[in-house]
Amino acid sequence: MYAIFKREFLSYFRSPVGYVSIAIFSFLSGFIFYSQFSAGSVNIGSEVISLRSFFIIIVPIITMGLLAEDKKRGTDILYYTTPVSLFNVVVGKVLASFALFAVMFINVIIHIIVTVACGGSFGVGGVGTIIVFFFMAFMFISMGLFASAITDNQIVSAIVAFLFILITQLLSVISEYAYTASYSIVKVLGVKADAATSFANAIRKGIAWLDPFVKTQDFRLGIFSVSSLIFLVSVGVLFMYLTFRVLEKKRWSQA
Amino acid sequence: MIEINNLVKRYGDKKAVNGISFTVNDDEVLGFLGPNGAGKTTTMNIITGYLSSTSGTVKVNGHDILEEPELAKKEIGYLPENPPLYTDMTVNEYLDFICDLKGVAKSKRKQMLERIISLVKISDVTDRLIGNLSKGYKQRVGIAQAMVGDPSILILDEPTVGLDPSQIIEIRKLIKSLSKSHSIIISSHILSEIQEIADRVVIINHGKIAAVDSLTDLSKRLSGQTKLMLTVGAPAKECAAKIQTIHGISAAVPKIVNNKVSQIELTLVGENSTEIRSAIFFMMARENWPILEMRSLDPTLEEVFLNITAGKRRA
Repeated sequence: MYAIFKREFLSYFRSPVGYVSIAIFSFLSGFIFYSQFSAGSVNIGSEVISLRSFFIIIVPIITMGLLAEDKKRGTDILYYTTPVSLFNVVVGKVLASFALFAVMFINVIIHIIVTVACGGSFGVGGVGTIIVFFFMAFMFISMGLFASAITDNQIVSAIVAFLFILITQLLSVISEYAYTASYSIVKVLGVKADAATSFANAIRKGIAWLDPFVKTQDFRLGIFSVSSLIFLVSVGVLFMYLTFRVLEKKRWSQA
Repeated sequence: MIEINNLVKRYGDKKAVNGISFTVNDDEVLGFLGPNGAGKTTTMNIITGYLSSTSGTVKVNGHDILEEPELAKKEIGYLPENPPLYTDMTVNEYLDFICDLKGVAKSKRKQMLERIISLVKISDVTDRLIGNLSKGYKQRVGIAQAMVGDPSILILDEPTVGLDPSQIIEIRKLIKSLSKSHSIIISSHILSEIQEIADRVVIINHGKIAAVDSLTDLSKRLSGQTKLMLTVGAPAKECAAKIQTIHGISAAVPKIVNNKVSQIELTLVGENSTEIRSAIFFMMARENWPILEMRSLDPTLEEVFLNITAGKRRA
């Protein structure tokens, strides 16, 4: 596992990928911090929350090559023919991307230090948003890894990862559409208005329940809920498992 | 030692490998021959654990590749057709990574890598990026990769493909030197290569074994009789007719005929070709026809190979 982690992490810095993603993150976080700072009121929590919306750009960049590149180069054969297990490969790759996020996050830590040094406040709400940031990063990295496992083309992989994250971010919008759509469909099928409303409501709630952003919105107020963190971890682990299955399947493929 | 028993790999309704069984003994070089698409690479991929067979077993030094994959894989070093190289790493970094993957202890690592690097002669490029190396060096790094962890078995899939003649000779020498301490399976469709290195040959065609034998036995089995090529300064027809009277020569076919020189292919029956050759010499001397050349035509591996696979190809 450590071998895979080390190789993947260092490989970010053998290509532009590591530098580009760190540059993007530094620019964005620096820009947000600067605007807050120049306005005279810094809130690290809202900076971190704003940064979360850029997962959609940064995560595909850092995960697109994780497995797709291996398949293209033919180096994936090493994972199957050496004593290393596929499980370790998956975990090692996720950890490598995660570590890159940790490196990027040094920016925010500097901002915190500056804020505190200048007499600003960094409270429990800030800590909460940072915790959520890393759990979400883990979840999206797993999605990106899965996107990288299903193709040997980095661009396709990046687009799929982008779509995964886009859908996650739009879940509350999607739930509203699903509400309207399911309501009209059931109505056409001849169901009474009452029943149709409650059915459509259930669908809206069901989809909205999946929204990780809504689930974790109280963290910024300092209200931590372990269950929502478990939710994020579960989704991440699910995608890691799917990745593992995709890798396994290659060996058994009969087509 | 590798025991392969009744291996089948199905792709849809096509069987890429169809009931292959053979054994590789310790410190033996086994040549694995077959036309393109015969199932060589698939078989090697199954032996190394990259693919799983539909049915059949592979045992590596007694460990089943599916049941005890980690023990079995420790015994095998694999060089696939495309060496699995990370072009963005230097040779040293890469080999170190392979050591990590194969779980080589840090204490043994330095000594082992030094030995491998000097054996495959890549010591002058260890600090260069693999992406910038020539094909020959890449191939050698690929072999070095297979040797990391001191596996007792090396599986090399077309190791000389795409190399220039001098590189081919060097790689061949390298494989020969490795064969003293390793069992080696080497696949190729370059027959002369196999002829030079392998102790035994497995020929497969359409996923089935067409022949397993040592090289000399294989040629003998297919030839059955020996042939001579004779070049003489004589009229061809006349000479052929005369020669046929010699006891032990069943056919004399003129191949090339011009005014002064003719080439005649002779088919000999029986064991004693020395006696027949002297008889030819004395007859030619009597007739005052100078013998310009006389050589025996042992069937080459090419002929053996074509003979075995001929007629079995699909149209």
